[in-house]
Amino acid sequence: MLKYVARRILQMIPVFFGVTVILFILRAPGVLPGDPIEMLTGDRVISEVTYNQLVQKHGLDQPLYVQYVTYMKNLFKGDLGLSYKKNRSVTEIFVEKYPYTLRLALAAILIEMIVGLSVGIISAVKRYSFWDVAVTLSTSILVSLPVFWLGMLMQVLFGIYFKRWGLPYLPISGMGNPPDLAHLIMPAITLASVSTAYVARIMRSQMIDVSQQDYIRTAEAKGLKGGAVVRKHALKNALIPVVTFIGIDLGAMLAGAILTETVFNWPGIGYEIYLAITARDWPIVTGGVVIVVIAYMIINLLVDVSYAFLDPRIRYGGEAA
Amino acid sequence: MVSFPKERGCELSNRFRSIIAVVLAVAMLATFAALGGCTTSEEKADEGGEGAVKGGTLSQFIVEPFAITPTLAYESEGIYIVSAMFDSLVEYDPITSELQPAAAESWSPNEDASVWTFNLRQGAKFHNGREVKAEDFKYAWERMLDPAMASEISYHLLAVKGATEMLEGQATELEGVKALDDYTLEVTLAEPYPDFELVVGHPCLGPLPKEAVDADPKFDENLIGNGPFKMAEPWVHDQYVKLVRFDDYYGDEPYVDGLEFKIFKDAETAFLEFEAGNLDFTEVPSGRLADVTAKYGEAPDGYTSNPGEQVLVGPELGIYYANINNTKAPFDNPKVREAINLAINRQAISDALFDGSRKPADSISPEGILGYEAGMWPQSRYDVEAAKAALADAGYPDGEGFPTIKLLFNTGSYHDQVWQLVQADLKAIGIESELDSAEWAVYKDKLKKKEFDIARYGWVYDYPIMENALYALFYSESADNQSYYVSEEFDAQVLKARSTLDLQERLAGMREADKILGKDMPVAPIMFYSHFDLTSDRVNDFVYSPMNIPDYVHCWISESTE
Repeated sequence: MLKYVARRILQMIPVFFGVTVILFILRAPGVLPGDPIEMLTGDRVISEVTYNQLVQKHGLDQPLYVQYVTYMKNLFKGDLGLSYKKNRSVTEIFVEKYPYTLRLALAAILIEMIVGLSVGIISAVKRYSFWDVAVTLSTSILVSLPVFWLGMLMQVLFGIYFKRWGLPYLPISGMGNPPDLAHLIMPAITLASVSTAYVARIMRSQMIDVSQQDYIRTAEAKGLKGGAVVRKHALKNALIPVVTFIGIDLGAMLAGAILTETVFNWPGIGYEIYLAITARDWPIVTGGVVIVVIAYMIINLLVDVSYAFLDPRIRYGGEAA
Repeated sequence: MVSFPKERGCELSNRFRSIIAVVLAVAMLATFAALGGCTTSEEKADEGGEGAVKGGTLSQFIVEPFAITPTLAYESEGIYIVSAMFDSLVEYDPITSELQPAAAESWSPNEDASVWTFNLRQGAKFHNGREVKAEDFKYAWERMLDPAMASEISYHLLAVKGATEMLEGQATELEGVKALDDYTLEVTLAEPYPDFELVVGHPCLGPLPKEAVDADPKFDENLIGNGPFKMAEPWVHDQYVKLVRFDDYYGDEPYVDGLEFKIFKDAETAFLEFEAGNLDFTEVPSGRLADVTAKYGEAPDGYTSNPGEQVLVGPELGIYYANINNTKAPFDNPKVREAINLAINRQAISDALFDGSRKPADSISPEGILGYEAGMWPQSRYDVEAAKAALADAGYPDGEGFPTIKLLFNTGSYHDQVWQLVQADLKAIGIESELDSAEWAVYKDKLKKKEFDIARYGWVYDYPIMENALYALFYSESADNQSYYVSEEFDAQVLKARSTLDLQERLAGMREADKILGKDMPVAPIMFYSHFDLTSDRVNDFVYSPMNIPDYVHCWISESTE
């Protein structure tokens, strides 16, 4: 197992270099249109002197490979460079914002797991019941709703109308100062909405699938009670595809959630990276992608490792089974 | 027209005038107290005509600024904050844009307006308690020109002698600026420039305390200024900037205790917060002017809001226009440009997108600018028949033989809709065109490389003077001349007008220059920008100037009724 984990970590190194090289190729003149320095001053044309000063300040007068080497050297010191557009240290930006993204992502994943899994299990166990139909119907609706629309709907209902009606209401946007739970509720539900519906559906179909397996019949034949069969035998096996899905989803959320962040004015990294791409603010783009890639690889590893615990047939590291 | 006396002394008549206007507005409001329904009229009625109450925090929607320091702030978000925290030598009247004393009590030019002497107010303090001295202006200006700062707004100071040398790294000191003593600042210009007094009114040209800048590597996010408000805490990125009243301020004491600039990504979310009662000053979401106005009432003058008269749509000093590539055939033919000008139905664009709140542009100079005269671009109007005639004159009857052209604009905002309408207008006179919607990066690139036929362009004035657009946009050597228009006649006229000492003669000279443009029609003006904002029903006497600077000192907040 340890050997497997070590090998996986070693595999991250070429991926990491590959990603940074590609990101630097994108910077090369002529690859993508647009000069990041020209774009800084809005409609106004930047003066030549200021242009040259900024080019020097950001080291853009150096050949690209020199820029790459410098970037890599600084990266290992934890310095991700200076944003063109924001005039701030990129490390500082992500150190400040990544915890916010993490907070929102974990809250959403929690909702996804608790609500998605339990709803999925209930509708599988009580197949074709009223609840099953209700779940199928509501998940279909949820999946097809645009996220921003759902978010704004909740804002208007729970933020504005509840306040007017004198009911307990939720804050519309931001994280709160200091950050609190009330501000987290609506963004987390919004971000989790579509995935929760998917998790419920995958869980339901997996449970149904697993319940037709031989080992479930064996368990039932042994005289185990229905609840124990579901808990001990069906659930663990049915979880594998769901865990895979949640892992991928968490990875995606760790790259930020542009729509949810925009609607709820959540200071996460998704919108930050999106803006940086449109502004060709390469230090933020590169720094952001590096962080996201690392996070994604770690999550992937954790998901793969978790399989071994869920399904005894899966073993890592030893002789091939 | 307003005349500018050369020596100003403690001229406060403008301020008194605005106070009287405020008092009158309050009195009128008290009469119609039933209208607003949310503020209590007894607060206003008495108190010797003042009526305003102290206290409260005014909250305002902004997007994350690039910078909030005067050395670097170049967009309106940053300038809101700079203007609340810093006082420049002079300031503009919030409505008329007339000059008023600020950090300088009085000032005067020499006989050819090449040397300016500013007499600073004594006893005015920085937020750290130290007195503001002439040296502090010199330091702040030198910091703006320091190559290491690479400030995008160093162009404000280019008229000062030695500024270019400093910017290019050949000098470490700004030769033209001298602190003769603690309270006298002498500024020598590279050449005579009678409008320089208006340039120094820019909010970013205030003083900086060197010792504080040196002591704090994060000074630019935790500023110390000399204005009516000071920072309550350092800038919290993507969340807020909080300011509180500075009690030792030399000028009128603000009524509000503080200002909170709440940072949003999106105006729609900000508007929801506004409707929930959590925001005092925000934008009207696009396409909603009619219902928002019906609900909150319109400010009569477009700039001053009060409960029940909360929507601000006054014209700004800025213009949206079709930038025509003058270097490219067939647009090098003035008749073609004339036809394009005549073809655009400006009112329809304003009606469709802004509920008619934006004024169709009948010239490049907006109405609020000093020296404005109507009808300087006679062909900047909608007349399909005249447009067809002009196109025929140019050798393209009914558009025959005219190439299919591209209309370039940056994606997003409302540009798509504007250019669809322009496309239809051009088609009506026989010009076929394609929409070339590009992301910002590509748009900027194409403009620079002259790879466009007609492109969206916008201009917002830095100073309330006609020259600020005329010279910047059309002088042949100016970097901002993106239509690549070249006219010796215009160049000579604008340069001559620029250095004319007498104000009225100077303005007349600028109008002459504008008329030359009106004859050549290098671009097609579309509409003047206007405010599209509103305040909450607890904000009173809030003035939002045509230059997009709110008067945070004289507004006040009535007790919330909730």
